[in-house]
Amino acid sequence: MTKIIGKNELESWLSGIMKERTVFAPTRVDDLILFRPVRSANEIVFDYENTNLSPKELFFPRTETLFTAVPKDGDIELTPTIVDQEVILFGIRPCDARGIAILDGPFLDEPADSLWAQHREKTTMIGLSCTKPAPQCFCTSMGSAPNDASNVDIMLTQVEDGYAVETITEKGEKLLQGVELRESDVQPPVPTCDVNIPAEGIVEAITKMFDDPYWSRLADRCIHCNVCAYVCPTCYCFDIRDRTDKGKTERIRTWESCQSKGFTRIAGGYDPRADKGTRLRQRFCHKLLYFPQQFGALGCVGCGRCVIACPVNIDIREIISDVQKIGAEVGQGSN
Amino acid sequence: MVKEATEKAVPNPFVPYPATLKSVVDLTPDVKLFTLELDRAQDEFDYKPGQFAFVSAYGVGESPFGVTSVAYRREGLQFAVRRVGTVTNALHQLEPGAKTGVRGPFGNFFPLDDYKNKNIIIIGGGIGFAPLRPVITTILDNRDDYANVLILNGARSPSDLCFASEFDDWVKSPRTKLELTVDAGDENWNGRVALIPDVITELQPSPKDAITIICGPPIMIKFTLSRLKQLGFADEQIVTTLEGKMKCGLGKCFRCNVGEKYVCRDGPVFTFEQISNFIEQF
Repeated sequence: MTKIIGKNELESWLSGIMKERTVFAPTRVDDLILFRPVRSANEIVFDYENTNLSPKELFFPRTETLFTAVPKDGDIELTPTIVDQEVILFGIRPCDARGIAILDGPFLDEPADSLWAQHREKTTMIGLSCTKPAPQCFCTSMGSAPNDASNVDIMLTQVEDGYAVETITEKGEKLLQGVELRESDVQPPVPTCDVNIPAEGIVEAITKMFDDPYWSRLADRCIHCNVCAYVCPTCYCFDIRDRTDKGKTERIRTWESCQSKGFTRIAGGYDPRADKGTRLRQRFCHKLLYFPQQFGALGCVGCGRCVIACPVNIDIREIISDVQKIGAEVGQGSN
Repeated sequence: MVKEATEKAVPNPFVPYPATLKSVVDLTPDVKLFTLELDRAQDEFDYKPGQFAFVSAYGVGESPFGVTSVAYRREGLQFAVRRVGTVTNALHQLEPGAKTGVRGPFGNFFPLDDYKNKNIIIIGGGIGFAPLRPVITTILDNRDDYANVLILNGARSPSDLCFASEFDDWVKSPRTKLELTVDAGDENWNGRVALIPDVITELQPSPKDAITIICGPPIMIKFTLSRLKQLGFADEQIVTTLEGKMKCGLGKCFRCNVGEKYVCRDGPVFTFEQISNFIEQF
């Protein structure tokens, strides 16, 4: 039997939660669909392909204070940031939820990043299955699916008279306490994403063609605008800086991108990745080689945002195919 | 003091140990030796030669430096800092008594126990000599454990040679030779004027039962390596510390990777055998 919640009941349930906790949900902001805190259910957009940005920033904010340092009685008082806001994240797509789970790899690896850990603990994720993949989507090639419920606390899938509800975790169960769900024999539709990007064996292929001139040729047109990293649900490189105002210092962490000039420049001026080719290779090798070597999964969830955002059409789907092809050729040549 | 509430939860790995600057000594016109002491007894900071730590100049930032002291002497935590950027400039302004912070120790270390009974060749250029000083201190403090020691210290000019006040002590140690070289001498300099790779060719150290530890600018390492290989040194006999831009020291910010390796966690100490197997070559 499938458990169903009607659209009206869903809205009143969410409205109830909003009275006590912060709810982030997809809303319309100008021409974009973005996660924003909502105060009423009618602000929520239920019918969207995907949000323009993933909700990564709820766990790994663009700018976050790690701790503050304030002079006090001849000493310096250090106060680490404490995340105390409980957040309900409504409407996360399976690809983006997989992105969060993937980033648990580096962030929770010992010693754990205490800020990421706190955001994770304080957030309950209500996923929403995709009804129809967008043209740029390829989640099934990256180990997920339009109805993949494995990385959220509660999964909702739209059916004719409401949403099918799957409770995945204890956290989800707690949130659903007291909510009346109808039993129904309606089977939720199984949406498909039939784009097939040949990701299998990519680690071996990219290892073989690592030194190929392909990367510098491809990078010729990169303008290192960093938008790929900005929209990516699994990019997590960061910078740390101090900001001081009226004697109070905040040590802050901000998003960074490996495509930035000077990203790897060391004291004295030497930069091991001074050219665009090695920087572009770093981006794709991190996702398709280093990350799987370190944490198992590929560092891409197939959301396709970078494909849409790149002003010079650098397309990870094409790169995966090219890498497979060149890798196979190089492999033959060396045998 | 850190709030109690967070001490129960996952500790914040970005918060430094509070420390106080005990002394500042000029080593060269642009390198100072800082001696720090941790403020709290409960903060554990046990380290080995080759490991590094971040030192904070609150309001400006923090930067990673190789620890220049040795833990067992309990003389405080020392860092040799060359004034080269914003953080190091700010650190150079600090005076004894200043409050700072230390995060670490991070990374691996020189496996000096594995080098016992071997001939040790230590080659450092400029500020690259900083992480080699605890290697020298440890070996000379345990002199009987090692065979012959050759130290080659090079710098741009005579006044840029780091740790000059300790040279006399080093050469007093038995079976220990110190060779100095500069890129350009001055009126008081009677010593060698040559680049480090050329000094290697001049001295012809034998690779037999030897370990070579090199640290310095990338260009020096590159040419020194090729001269050592001409003399018959194998890649596994040559050890270095790699430098990488880094922000966290925790294997998270992904600034310091060389291929799938992190300089901060897998290094900074690598043999050339390891480095030559990295997929990414710098």
